[in-house]
Amino acid sequence: MTAQTTHTAGAGGSDVAEDPVPVVRAVGLVKRYGDLAAVDGVDLTVPAGAVYGLLGPNGAGKTTFMRILFGLIRPDEGRIELFGRSELAGRVEALEDVAGFVETPRFYPYMSARANLEALATLDRRVSADRIPELLEQVELTDRARSKVGEFSYGMVQRLGVAAALMRSPRLLVLDEPTNGLDPAGIRDMRALISRLASTGITVLLSSHNMLEVEEVCGHVAIMRRGRLAFDGSMAELRAMAQDVEYRLVTGDDARAADVCRGAPGVSNVRTATDGIRLDSRPGPVEALTARLGAMGIGIRQLELPITALETLFFRLTEGDAAGEAAAA
Amino acid sequence: MSPFAAVYRVETRKLLAQTRVRALLLFLLVVPWIYIGLILHQDRLPLETLYGRYLKDTGFATPLAILVYASQWVLPLIAALLAGDVFSSEDQLGTLKTILTRSVGRTAVFWGKLAAVFSFTVLAIVIVAVSATLAGVITVGNDPLVDVGGHLRSASSAAGLVAISWATVVLPTLAFGAIAMMVSILTRSSVLGVIVPVVIGLVMQLYTFLNAWDTVRHLLLGWTMSAWRGVMDSPSYYTPLARGLVVSAVYLVVATTVAFVVFRRRDVAGG
Repeated sequence: MTAQTTHTAGAGGSDVAEDPVPVVRAVGLVKRYGDLAAVDGVDLTVPAGAVYGLLGPNGAGKTTFMRILFGLIRPDEGRIELFGRSELAGRVEALEDVAGFVETPRFYPYMSARANLEALATLDRRVSADRIPELLEQVELTDRARSKVGEFSYGMVQRLGVAAALMRSPRLLVLDEPTNGLDPAGIRDMRALISRLASTGITVLLSSHNMLEVEEVCGHVAIMRRGRLAFDGSMAELRAMAQDVEYRLVTGDDARAADVCRGAPGVSNVRTATDGIRLDSRPGPVEALTARLGAMGIGIRQLELPITALETLFFRLTEGDAAGEAAAA
Repeated sequence: MSPFAAVYRVETRKLLAQTRVRALLLFLLVVPWIYIGLILHQDRLPLETLYGRYLKDTGFATPLAILVYASQWVLPLIAALLAGDVFSSEDQLGTLKTILTRSVGRTAVFWGKLAAVFSFTVLAIVIVAVSATLAGVITVGNDPLVDVGGHLRSASSAAGLVAISWATVVLPTLAFGAIAMMVSILTRSSVLGVIVPVVIGLVMQLYTFLNAWDTVRHLLLGWTMSAWRGVMDSPSYYTPLARGLVVSAVYLVVATTVAFVVFRRRDVAGG
């Protein structure tokens, strides 16, 4: 999808203004490791101002894509442009206005947080170390500025990674699984930080394997599966696709209830399990089903959505067959 | 500030921040004093070592006797300790990707690191040479020195010869450093980066003891490490030294080129 028109980004995103030059444009990107295609013909366009989620299970190719974006590895085929600049291949010019981290941000453990940021400011040359106190405050690490990074928790290193990225005053912020390994409070704070940054106009490309996180933060999403794009579009488009939801139903007589479910209109994929009956449907048919079960004297003990509609779609896209993938794309 | 200067500045700061590097420099500063202190407190002298017999006669014998030991395995070890993990440690810490996503290219990163490591290697040699000279002169005195040809050299002449002798081992030591760096880039292993150059140094040293082909012997770094003995003779002869410097330069250039080409082309996929 080439999202270069004005539209509403959806949850967590901002309105995307028309921009003739996309922030990221990947064309026919391929990276192979032996017989395995980690990235297999990916075409992706990230418009300016978007909070773009790159979603997929572990091993889907998200991190490989981001490594190519940063010039850390070379694609076997295709190219990637940042702000219209190609010739990535590690060239410094291509990474102007771009910052972020791939996998866990890494620092020198024998140096303090401040010394690490000062070293990175020196490498960035045009970046002033004067901003370091402000950035440390922004990621709530002011108190640990002089502590060695080797003593930091995982979450603190993640936050320091964000500070290191922001030091470059980027127009594109690339974050690879930024909430990985964080505790619930850390996850909440990181998401809030990303939303806050996005509201300042920075384009954010965020990888995650968590549909809920992407749904909360991103306005656009690309879903990767085995190196390929299974979906690429706005959250609104994804939601429109995600109509059938998986329900879990527990009744007083699951065997009879399952037979009723199988014959109910608008209900599909009925399967029985030890914890009840699972079925795919929508609110209307489910309402009719529950009324019918009640009329037949089958008591309903529990009816719940184990996963959201988007999660259901995500699992279908990332675990489903090639036909489903093609239909989604 | 150029990208090279930026990397050089950061690398020197990183090296100074490492306890291992500070401990190495401190060790090199202290060990000549311990050595001469032990010699002065015993009756026997290391007679089998060049200038060992003069250790209690003149302070200028101390840096030369230490140079004999150093040139055999200490200098390759120093070079390997400093250069052997300058790239592989970045691989292990996962920080190479941190550097390469900033405003410096791979070329600047490579040459900046190389320059920083070589600066510290030269600094290490200067520290041990100066410390050994001071330890000898302060504890034994600055009496004239008998050169390899048996002629007495004045204190100022002896000081000059000591400086020249130590200066001649700088290039082969840097060549060992380049080998260490190449191994650390090729294997991404700090252990191999340190061990391989030391083993190479020892094997080369062993070969020089064998009654084998002289042509091969002259092409070994171990041989060039002892070429300074020609400078200490009277009259001095410089052919082994000149040949040794050329051999060292070839090792240095070849190892650095291989390291540079591999570093420029490789994927940064770890961490």
